[in-house]
Amino acid sequence: MSGLTPARPLGLASAAPACALDPTSAASVCASDDAVIRTKGLTKDYGCDRGIFDVDLEVRKGEVFGYVGTNGSGKTTTIRALMGFIKPTAGTAELCGSDCWTHAAHNMLAVSYIPGEVAFPDLRTGVEFLKSQARHLGVTDFSYMNRVIEALQLDPTANLKRMSKGMKQKTAIAAALMARRDVLILDEPTTGLDPLMRDAFLDLVRAEKEAGHTVFMSSHIFEEMEEVCDRVAMIRDGRVIGVVDLDELRRSQTRRYALEFATAWQAEEFDRRFPGGRFSGARSSEAQPLGGRPSDAQPTGQVTRQVAVQASQTAELFQALDGCGLTALSERRATLEDIFLQAYDQGAE
Amino acid sequence: MGQTRETGKVTGVFSGPLFGQNLKANWALCLVIAVIMVLMCVVMNFAGSMMSATAGGSEDYSEEQEEFYVYLGALAAYDAMTQANLSYGDFAQGGDRDAYEQAFNLLSQSIGEDLSVQGFQEAIDDLGRSDVPLDDYVRQFEYAYALAQSTGVFSGDELDLETMMDTMLGIAGVDMGLMDTMEEMDPDALLNSMYFTGTGLLPVFLLVVLLANSLVVDKVDRGSMAYLLSTPTKRRAVAFTQMLFMLVVPLVLCAIACVARIASTNALYPETNAAGILALYVGMYLLVEAVAGLCYFGSCVFNRSGASLAFGGGLAVWFFLASLLGIFGSPNLVDIGMGVEALGVFNNLTLVGLYDTDALATVGTAAVDYAFAWKLCALAGVAAVAYVAGAVRFCKRDLPL
Repeated sequence: MSGLTPARPLGLASAAPACALDPTSAASVCASDDAVIRTKGLTKDYGCDRGIFDVDLEVRKGEVFGYVGTNGSGKTTTIRALMGFIKPTAGTAELCGSDCWTHAAHNMLAVSYIPGEVAFPDLRTGVEFLKSQARHLGVTDFSYMNRVIEALQLDPTANLKRMSKGMKQKTAIAAALMARRDVLILDEPTTGLDPLMRDAFLDLVRAEKEAGHTVFMSSHIFEEMEEVCDRVAMIRDGRVIGVVDLDELRRSQTRRYALEFATAWQAEEFDRRFPGGRFSGARSSEAQPLGGRPSDAQPTGQVTRQVAVQASQTAELFQALDGCGLTALSERRATLEDIFLQAYDQGAE
Repeated sequence: MGQTRETGKVTGVFSGPLFGQNLKANWALCLVIAVIMVLMCVVMNFAGSMMSATAGGSEDYSEEQEEFYVYLGALAAYDAMTQANLSYGDFAQGGDRDAYEQAFNLLSQSIGEDLSVQGFQEAIDDLGRSDVPLDDYVRQFEYAYALAQSTGVFSGDELDLETMMDTMLGIAGVDMGLMDTMEEMDPDALLNSMYFTGTGLLPVFLLVVLLANSLVVDKVDRGSMAYLLSTPTKRRAVAFTQMLFMLVVPLVLCAIACVARIASTNALYPETNAAGILALYVGMYLLVEAVAGLCYFGSCVFNRSGASLAFGGGLAVWFFLASLLGIFGSPNLVDIGMGVEALGVFNNLTLVGLYDTDALATVGTAAVDYAFAWKLCALAGVAAVAYVAGAVRFCKRDLPL
């Protein structure tokens, strides 16, 4: 897989000075070139093939790292291990070099966390809860919390028990983000938010990234991952099946188009003029594979074609199309979902 | 570690915000239990004072009875001498006062007592205050008078009412020892053991079961513990703060009940053994903490709220019921025929059995029974072991958050 994380040299990094020089981060935690989150062979075996197995992750400082997988694939288990709620059966999880299990409370000085399941303590209103969290977190400056509340259009004076799912989620987000920690661990943070609020939340995540903070978020919604993440790890049945660099995906020089011709005869004429454009053969190995089946199985007589070309070939393609009776053209972008589904299928084999 | 952590510090031992949150979430429950405890202790105290007042009342009239019988005896002697028909019944119905005046004057001279119509009336009024009708006293006098007139037909012994009563009851199969213990029975002691080892424990047991459940396992089960542990708060601090809450709340409640008990005793009884009452409540506190410790342990060990509630609540209910059954096996009730000695084994099957109210009540009196000391130490030991084991387990286990 082209997007897999290259192995990074470890060792010296932990001895490097803290990044006081970094202007974007006022309260920085980790040495600048060290991984903020690193798991090595992290395993939590619940028996019956449930749990997570040999999870190796490395989240660099200042990146937004996504973690996708189906329900029950082990996203939350991984996050529990990172938060120090569970003790790994084998392997290690480290946050800025300190162990997630033995130094859990110490690590929390650097972490903001949104739990996957919203269950507030026995308090009356959202305000009461936020105040209580502020005391737990040692937060005295509420200006950022108020900005979050404003951005999410949250009314925190409402009764906690009567809040809708979305309201609760917003309250949980405000409670987590108010401390402005360096590392954000978010377990499906957009659950229950409407599309507008989801956009508002993703803006907040982007702002965190701009502030130099590191974000680790799980989700099963590919679109939002594509919007904000730098890299995404995919997990299936407790095993990481790949890490995709979304920047590479976005910068990809390969373009794909779906073409439709008026007649099968004209389509074959196009095949003759542009033989390399067929979404098959040698060219498809360079291209990001599409999620669907390879289209070279198309029987002749069909009027549709799918082509993948390098950006530099775009003009060539359009010249070839001239006079071929093109009736429809659409660009098919390579999506995270395509990659995930393909990796998922490969993993199943 | 090669990094800086600038903001805040880790809460390692005690979390003030968590303690405050506990207060906010549980104050209503604590208040209700406190009110119930105070009410119960005042009402039991009042009932006890009423019982001892009526029990003491029957003894208080012996002097009046004696005075009355002197007059009845005088009248009987006078009737025998003069063939007159003077009696209490006649006197009460307004019989001829002069005849009585004359009789009393005569009798006063002959037996050297100062008898008068006025004195007779006073004796009647005085004894009339007792709950027993005067006619009953008159009838009793008649039996006693009749028996005193004769001797046993075979033995020639003098006959009296008391030996007659004992003989009759003995033939009817009534245990004479029972009669003695009934006279010696202390209703106060009985009520006290009912209160301190029975009903008085129920509300505070209920409280510790509910508190232990809501402080730890409920937060884990529902997931709100995640908000706590995602802040720089060590698990040790969570365990210790919740433990402290479990130690402080029953202490405050027992102190309130103790003050209410001392105050109401002061108001209802002529004298107050404050030291004894304090000792009883200190013992109650240690007992409650032993149960609370076990509930806390269950709360720390289990993942599911229901399992913990079954464990802690089950133990508390068992201790309470076994103690209730044990009361019916206690010497207090066995002696008066209401208990069954075999039920006494239940006192050995409950932690409440280590709460020796009889011995504790002797604190502050001349003869202190120190049997309570090792039992209270055992209760404190149970509490300490359960609390520490629970806290250690909580710090080391996986939490399904």
